[in-house]
Amino acid sequence: MGTIGATLVRAGRRFVSSLPALFGVLVFTFLLMRVLPGDPAVFFASSPNAGQEEIEVIRKQLGLDKPLPNQLAIYLYDVGRGNLGRSMMTGQAVAKDLKERLPASLELTLTALLIALISAVPLGVLAALRPGSLVDHGVRLFCSLGVCVPTFVSGLLLIYVFYYLFGWAPDPTGRIDIFATLPPQRTGFLIIDFLLAGDLEGWWAAARQLMLPALTMALFVIAPLARITRASMLVSLGSDFVRTARSVGLSWWRIVVTYALRNAILPVITIAGIVFSTMLGANVLVEKVFSWPGVASYALDALLVSDYAPVQGFVLLMATIFVIVNLLVDVLYGIADPRATVA
Amino acid sequence: MSFEMSKRSLFAATALLAVTLAAPTAHAQSRAETLRYVTGATVNTLDPNIPGSTREAFALSMSSYDRLVSFGRKQLNGKWVFDLDTITGELAESYSVSPDGLKITFKLRPDAKFQDGSPVTAEDVKWSLDRCVTAPILGKAQLLTGSLTSADQFKVIDPLTFEVTLPKPDKLALPNLATVYPIIINSKLAKSHATAEDPWALNWTKENAAGSGAYIVETFKPGEQVIAKRNEAWNRGTPDKPAAFKRLIIQSVPEPATRANLVERGDADLVIDLQASDVQSLEGKAKLKVISTPQYNAVTFISMNNTIPPFDNVNVRRAIAYALPYDDMFKAALFGRGAPLYGATWADGKPPSGGYPIPQPIKLDLEKAKAYLKEAGMPDGFSTTFSFNVGQAATAEPMAALVKEQLGKIGIKVDIQKLPDAQMSTAINEKKLPFFTEGIVAWLPSTDYFYRNFYTGKQRWNYSSTDNAELEKIAQEARFEADKAKYEDQGKALNAIHFDQMFQIPIWQAAQDAVMQPTVDGYVYQFTRQVDYRNLSRK
Repeated sequence: MGTIGATLVRAGRRFVSSLPALFGVLVFTFLLMRVLPGDPAVFFASSPNAGQEEIEVIRKQLGLDKPLPNQLAIYLYDVGRGNLGRSMMTGQAVAKDLKERLPASLELTLTALLIALISAVPLGVLAALRPGSLVDHGVRLFCSLGVCVPTFVSGLLLIYVFYYLFGWAPDPTGRIDIFATLPPQRTGFLIIDFLLAGDLEGWWAAARQLMLPALTMALFVIAPLARITRASMLVSLGSDFVRTARSVGLSWWRIVVTYALRNAILPVITIAGIVFSTMLGANVLVEKVFSWPGVASYALDALLVSDYAPVQGFVLLMATIFVIVNLLVDVLYGIADPRATVA
Repeated sequence: MSFEMSKRSLFAATALLAVTLAAPTAHAQSRAETLRYVTGATVNTLDPNIPGSTREAFALSMSSYDRLVSFGRKQLNGKWVFDLDTITGELAESYSVSPDGLKITFKLRPDAKFQDGSPVTAEDVKWSLDRCVTAPILGKAQLLTGSLTSADQFKVIDPLTFEVTLPKPDKLALPNLATVYPIIINSKLAKSHATAEDPWALNWTKENAAGSGAYIVETFKPGEQVIAKRNEAWNRGTPDKPAAFKRLIIQSVPEPATRANLVERGDADLVIDLQASDVQSLEGKAKLKVISTPQYNAVTFISMNNTIPPFDNVNVRRAIAYALPYDDMFKAALFGRGAPLYGATWADGKPPSGGYPIPQPIKLDLEKAKAYLKEAGMPDGFSTTFSFNVGQAATAEPMAALVKEQLGKIGIKVDIQKLPDAQMSTAINEKKLPFFTEGIVAWLPSTDYFYRNFYTGKQRWNYSSTDNAELEKIAQEARFEADKAKYEDQGKALNAIHFDQMFQIPIWQAAQDAVMQPTVDGYVYQFTRQVDYRNLSRK
């Protein structure tokens, strides 16, 4: 109880101390967007007859006619009230767009991370147990391939094989078959919502839809996870306590999993945290290839057309998630290695 | 109690079984009656008038709203395209133009109803058109081109008769009413959502359709999909019956290769924005129907800013025109899919027609190009940048590479500049780019319209920053010219000036490649460069 309480207090303190950083991100993104040379008003006034008048109308509508400090003040005030502005691109409130799209991204990223961890940790352990062996080289080759092939290539390849050639996978257009009916929205995670609604057929459809994009993303991040597991396992397997454990004749499983792996897992957790945050923002190519309605492709589209509000909202969201993931990693540290809570 | 439970669960099980058994057939049936259209773009508003509306939003509005009139169709080289010269009634049962051309009277269909069941009246028409010319929306600038500028011009005669008055006879007034913007809105419904700051209910119509159109929007998820069902009461189609497809799915699929896979596998019915290479290979496989129509109301340019040196020198512009590898560009960028606007022969050097655009007698001729450069006083060439936007990279990138290589041969050093779309629009609007490629499109493609909008004034669409008094004078005169022969002569004069001064170089009209299942029938190339879903049916 004491340790949990301490962890929570620490997490809370950490969170409060990250608020200034979030504020900095907010202001920085705001300024950055306005420094970029594209003018959203000109872009969106692109109908065949739009002239200067239309451009002015849009500029006014976006509040871009006001001086920059005023714009910033209005923006901060709005953000404080939970209003992230309106997207020109989708015509919707940014907060609403993000709220609808974030579960899609999270569902995809978490599944991919899960697949990556489940395959990377055993692979890393296997490689570390027999360094220099055929298994080790095999794992190295697999990792190199995974990280070398860009996600849009592996994604298109998977689509080509599993959808186009064999027809095993459903059409790669978003989270659910377009003809299917959606479950009542509770968590926003389709595979959970279907389960809650007791619709197994729907669940299977959603899971099938999720498989290829998650696999594509997982392939890309297995490498760093497996490599770090291997390196850290090597250190841990060569350390004194493992030698002692061996000498007292403990079982193989106990030595490798309970002692060596638990001690080696800290850096893996750190990397997993970083990988997760990166994936969430950087999986834009996967989202594009699979028409996945996630936040990353939303932000990229907005950036291309200089649609300020969505980009700012996205960066703020990512920063917040990054803070939360870091907190979570901290908490996991405490569980994996009780010594970490003291510091 | 337990008996009750088991009875209930037995009932539930039976129901479930029934549903499971019935589902596949229902699914298959509805699939055949559903049109699934995939696109790289997205519908971002249900009201096409909202500034920032996408072309997909225009296309949807053609089906969710009605207008007073609509364009007919004609065959162009064996393919169906919209016909600017045939205006048929949509909500109007008939219309008549007064002999002096100053009054257009519309008789409304007495049986026309909005999607909520209330009848369409002349009051609704008046409110909708007033809105179009008064509110700060896109329709304003469009209707201006047809001399429709003020609410005073619209008059309700009786509930089914409506009159439009013009300051002078304008042949574009009627066609303008068939374009995207002058939608007829259920005014009672819209007004009930109007507020003091938003008297025209723009915020409401953005997300709610209040029309009388052929399709009723059911689901609207910007960036993902729109699902609409057929309006059974709609009878404005040519054979006076509802649209053929019962359901319409417009789905955003950003990756072009995925769109190609979808249509090839038969999961999607129609797509119009595939990459030229994919179209080529799909056409080769001959499993699908491919209809390629040159976009006859659009032009792709290699443009030069006539106010930035050295492009202010006409001989430099001429040199460029004779130094470009047109055939190679056409093949590399478009795989030859489209209508070239170069390589013509003009007998005695005069334009053969007063249309716009027409193929010009320019071709790759390096000797001629060098001679013009010498005449311009720059025999050793110069350095410049060539810009294009990221959104058009698929066609513009190979083109830019060829331009760079070829102009290098006459001593012109070109730096290629690839700009994000918004940056490109901004730079063009501020007239900062010396040399670039861009496209234009006109909904009402008549010669004077092209010249007035794309070769005059300080506005964005005057890519070449042309300022030519003679051209402007002829184009303005031509606007109100009723005599067809005279209009043709004016067009020829304009084309002659264009060729002589070489403001910019029209290079081609890219094809619209509509790829569809063999069962899909009735595709017509529309002025919006989008699909009019009402045209389509399944054989």
